[in-house]
Parts: sequence; C-alpha cells; structure tokens
Amino acid sequence: MNRIFLDVHALQTVPPSNLNRDDTGAPKTAVYGGVPRARVSSQAWKRATRTYFKDEHLLDASELGVRTKKIVEAVASRITALDPSLTRETALRIADETVKATGLKTDVPTRKATAAKAAEPDPAPEAKYLVFLSARQLEGLARLAVDGAADITAYLKDKKSKDKAKEIADTRHSVDIALFGRMVADAADINVDAAVQVAHAISVHRVENESDYYTAVDDENTDEETGAGMIGTVDFNSATLYRYAALGVHQLAANLGQGLREDEPRTDPVRRAVEAFVHGFVASLPTGKINTFGHHTLPDAVIVKLRTTRPVSFVAAFEDPVRGDQGGHVREASERLAEYIPDIERAYGDEDSTLTWVLRVGPNTQRLGGIGTESENLGELVASVGQAVAERLEKPA
Amino acid sequence: MSVLTLRLAGPLQSWGASARFTRRTTESAPTKSGVVGMLAAAAGIERGDDERLEPLAALRFGVRIDQPGTRVRDFHTAHHGVTGKSMPLSERFYLADAVFVAALEGDRTLLAALHAALRAPVYAPYLGRRSCPPALPIELALHASVTSLHQALQDEPWQAAPWYRRQRRRDATVSLAVLREADDHEHHADVLRDQPLSFAAEHRRHALRTVLSTTVEVPNPAAAPTRSAPRHDPFDALEEESARCS
Repeated sequence: MNRIFLDVHALQTVPPSNLNRDDTGAPKTAVYGGVPRARVSSQAWKRATRTYFKDEHLLDASELGVRTKKIVEAVASRITALDPSLTRETALRIADETVKATGLKTDVPTRKATAAKAAEPDPAPEAKYLVFLSARQLEGLARLAVDGAADITAYLKDKKSKDKAKEIADTRHSVDIALFGRMVADAADINVDAAVQVAHAISVHRVENESDYYTAVDDENTDEETGAGMIGTVDFNSATLYRYAALGVHQLAANLGQGLREDEPRTDPVRRAVEAFVHGFVASLPTGKINTFGHHTLPDAVIVKLRTTRPVSFVAAFEDPVRGDQGGHVREASERLAEYIPDIERAYGDEDSTLTWVLRVGPNTQRLGGIGTESENLGELVASVGQAVAERLEKPA
Repeated sequence: MSVLTLRLAGPLQSWGASARFTRRTTESAPTKSGVVGMLAAAAGIERGDDERLEPLAALRFGVRIDQPGTRVRDFHTAHHGVTGKSMPLSERFYLADAVFVAALEGDRTLLAALHAALRAPVYAPYLGRRSCPPALPIELALHASVTSLHQALQDEPWQAAPWYRRQRRRDATVSLAVLREADDHEHHADVLRDQPLSFAAEHRRHALRTVLSTTVEVPNPAAAPTRSAPRHDPFDALEEESARCS
C-alpha cells in the first residue's frame, strides 16, 4: 500500500489562561519528565478544529457532516426534490425503508396531544440516536430510494440493493467524519476509524497551577455597605505548549472515497480535507474561559512533515523540561527542536522522500529556519502542503 | 525461537482491560490486546479480519516495567451536537511518564514482517488510546535466536528516561517487574481478560490469559561508582584489644 503520513507540530505560548479544565475547575495537568506540565486534552483541540472548519467556512457545507436524528426527513426532502411527483407520505415511507436497510434503526416518535388536535400530519420516523452522515450520503440514499420507489420493500429485499444502501452509508464520508471518525453502537459496520491522531498538548516546561483571588464590587452599594458583592478564585496557568497531530493521508483518501463531483480528479477532495485540517489545527484554539483570560494567540512555530513511513512525535525533545533562563521558553524550545529533529531522523533512518515545511515568527524561532522550506504565511504553508499531497497521491514517491 | 521487542514510551498511555461506559480505566502495564491490536493496525489488518489476527494473537506476550509512571485522571465532557445539552460525563485514566518494554515470541517470519510494518505502518500506532502517540519509534529489536521470552526481556537494556535512571545512580543494577504469559509447567499465575479473539467493531471479544509476575535484573547505565569511605569503626580497636588480651 502507498503510505502517506503528514505530521504537524506547533509551539504555541498561551498567557495566563484556563482553556481546558478538570472537574474542579483547574487547568488540566500531567507529569512528564518527572515534573508537572500544563495539558490540553486532544478532545478539546479536536473540537476546536472542527468548530473552526464551520465558523471560518474552510469547507463547503456539502463536504461537512450533518448530525441529526431527523435523517428520514432529510432523505425524504431530497427524494421529493429528485421526483416531485411523489407525495410527502410516499417519500417518507421509502426514505424510512432505505435508511433501515443501511442498518440504522428508526422509530416513529410519539405524537404530541396538541399536534393531534391541530390535525398536523403524523410525525416522521426518527433515528434512535444522532447520526452523522454527509450531504452526499443523504443524496445517495435518496437516489436509491427513488430507483426502487415502485415497490420499495421488494426492491430492498434484493441483496444487491440492500448492499448498495450499506455501501452508500459506508463510503463518501464527509470530511469531518473521514478525519475524526464515527461511532454508531448498533450499526457497527458503518463505523469509521479516524484518519487523524491528535496528542494531548503539553507544556515544554514545568508548570504549577496558580489561583487568582477576585472580588467583585456591587455598583448599587451605598456608602454604608462596604465590602465585596462576591468573591471567588479562578485557577489558571501560562504555558508554551508543544502540540502534535498525525494524519494518515492514505486512510483519509479511503474514508473519503470517490470525489463529490464526477468531473474533478479523485485527489481534489483529499487535498481540500488535508488543507482544511492543517489550517484548522494550526489556527484553532479551545475557548475555555476565553472571555476571562483573552488568551487569543497563534503558534510561534509550525513544522509540517510529509512522510512515506511512520509519523514521528518530537515530544521527547522536551522530556527534560525547558528552563527558559533567557528569552522565555520559545527560544530554548526552538533550539531543542532544531537539534532533536535531525538527530532522531538520522538515528531511525528518515526517508529521502520526506518533505518539511516551517512557518515561524520572530527571532526566538530563528534556529528552526534551517530545518525545512520556510513559508511566508499560513496560507502559503497550507497551499504547498496540499499541492505536495496531491502530487504524492498521483505519483507516489 | 524469535522475540520482537518494543519500547512503549510517551507522555501518556492508557491500557484498558475492563474499561466500559463512562469510567475508562487503565491497567498499570500494557495489555496483550492493546499491543497485538497496535501490531495488527500497523500491518494493515482490518477490524473483523479474525483470520489474519489469529497468528498475531497466538504470539506469546510479556512486558517489562522500565518506568512505572503515575496515574492521571482525566475528566471528559461532551455536548450534544444539536441541542448543546451536556452528555454523560466520563472519566478517563492514563499512565503519565511511563516506559515499558513489550516482547512477543513466535515465528521468525511473522515477527520480521511485524518489525517492518512498524517502520512503515498502514495505521499509525498509539499507546492504548488514539490520543497517546508514542514519543519515540516503537520497534527495538528482533532477537533472532534467544532461548525464551524471559531471556529477551532480560537482555534488553533499561529504557527508562535519563532523569529517572539518574535517580537510581547508586545502584549498579535495577530490578524490573516482568509480566508475561506463563509456561505450561508454571503455576500460580493471575489471569487477565486481554487475549484478543476479535477486534470486529460490532463485537470485540477477549479470552482470559495467564499472567505470571517475575523480575529481571538489568544493568543501570547511569550508575556512578560511589566513592567508598575509608573503613572506620571505633569498636575495631576494642576487638583488637580483646584479641590481644585473650
């Protein structure tokens, strides 16, 4: 199999903040190299990345998934668009049968008394849980239903059409499903294994949580009523984080399947997904307590590697914690990476085909300039990674 | 007989053997199902392909605890995709700062193929949970001819981090715990339900596996020869005196 892995590394400093907290409200931590570190869980950053796709319109809505219980209605509305001669009832019925053929279970929700009185139409069947399907999968199911509209039950009894329904639900996934995976408990054969692996971000240096004691004044207090309206504490820390994610491009391509449009090359959807991921992972930020701390920062340095062998995390460069005696933590962290990366790649036999890009800010990250092709800005980095991925897919190295 | 040794090191790892629902626990050492699953993924064996999994699951498994690490409890919240309501809270446990050496014993051709697969995996390896990538390449060595699994775990150098080894610099050797499948003649083994039968998404199945705990002594590369103070015992003089008097 032609293997293509992309690994993304970032050094990012956050000022006093609490972007990801545990059940006591304190920022999450872990021990590494024998000392406490700040930690931001992988779940938190994956959610931030996914939200970023949507908020920043990095991808067309047709490439994103729809997470809904009202899947029957969603398919039915596409059926009536395809064949306007079908009534709503028929569309709902054949949509329901088709959805069931994929292995998903549906139920008709109980009708509310008020709805019955108002003579509203019967409610449409709903899936028993939230189902995450792409726009093109919903479209595919609708087409299948229309093909068998004459006698849907007999049509779906045929093994061939039943398999087709399953295949539709199992291929051409939306970009977010292809990247982050999908889990459906009682239709396990349409589960999708994520192509992306995101590590918990940890600080490159020792971090102890601090506590901020605050008082708030009641503006309506009279001169007699002195004292605070309320008091409390907020835990926080400040850290230079090492962030790492690895993307199996070949797995992403398999998850995405055929392109959305017939006229575009097969590599296009993969390329768009890779570009969106790199952009989203680098630029997104968990928003925990963002209005309290305003920790809006971007990475000081980003390294992207395209490989034909395994992805490699560079976290071990920071197992011995950075002391930051001069120039904060970023300078020493950059120097560590600049030394560690060629070292580990030599020791474990890096391939000649590995491509490296660097995006960096400021004099503290100067040492990283030498380890790969420098990009001027994030847009340029994302575009050149996307292009290299497309070339690799078409012409393996 | 051949043995493939692996180094499992990273900031976080999590090896569940009985984890279900909202409380996702971790054992204190890698499980056989976790390690075999990782090798199967590297070799590109799809979930549910029980036929190709079988020879991997038949390998004998052992693990050495080179640096035990500490347990971390992670509190996980999730929100409903549409209504934004919070979903059941869950707890996930991790081992932070741990290092293990895992060993698999069996057919040489199969082990050589797995060794190569780790260098160029189909699905990237992780330490028990997807959010725990390894900090260093996993494959250590393919021991082509050793007498036993135990021997391979005995021969492999100590993989603990330099800072951890320095804490033990007074000891020329260290004693490391080993958890391995028992030989036929060995008794008093514990059992753990981590012998993989199937990784099929709709129905994962595991059988019980015997686990025998022993220890091995390995040299400490960080050992610094301690300066031995000249012998000084005031009672020596008394003894000399009494020897002379008698």
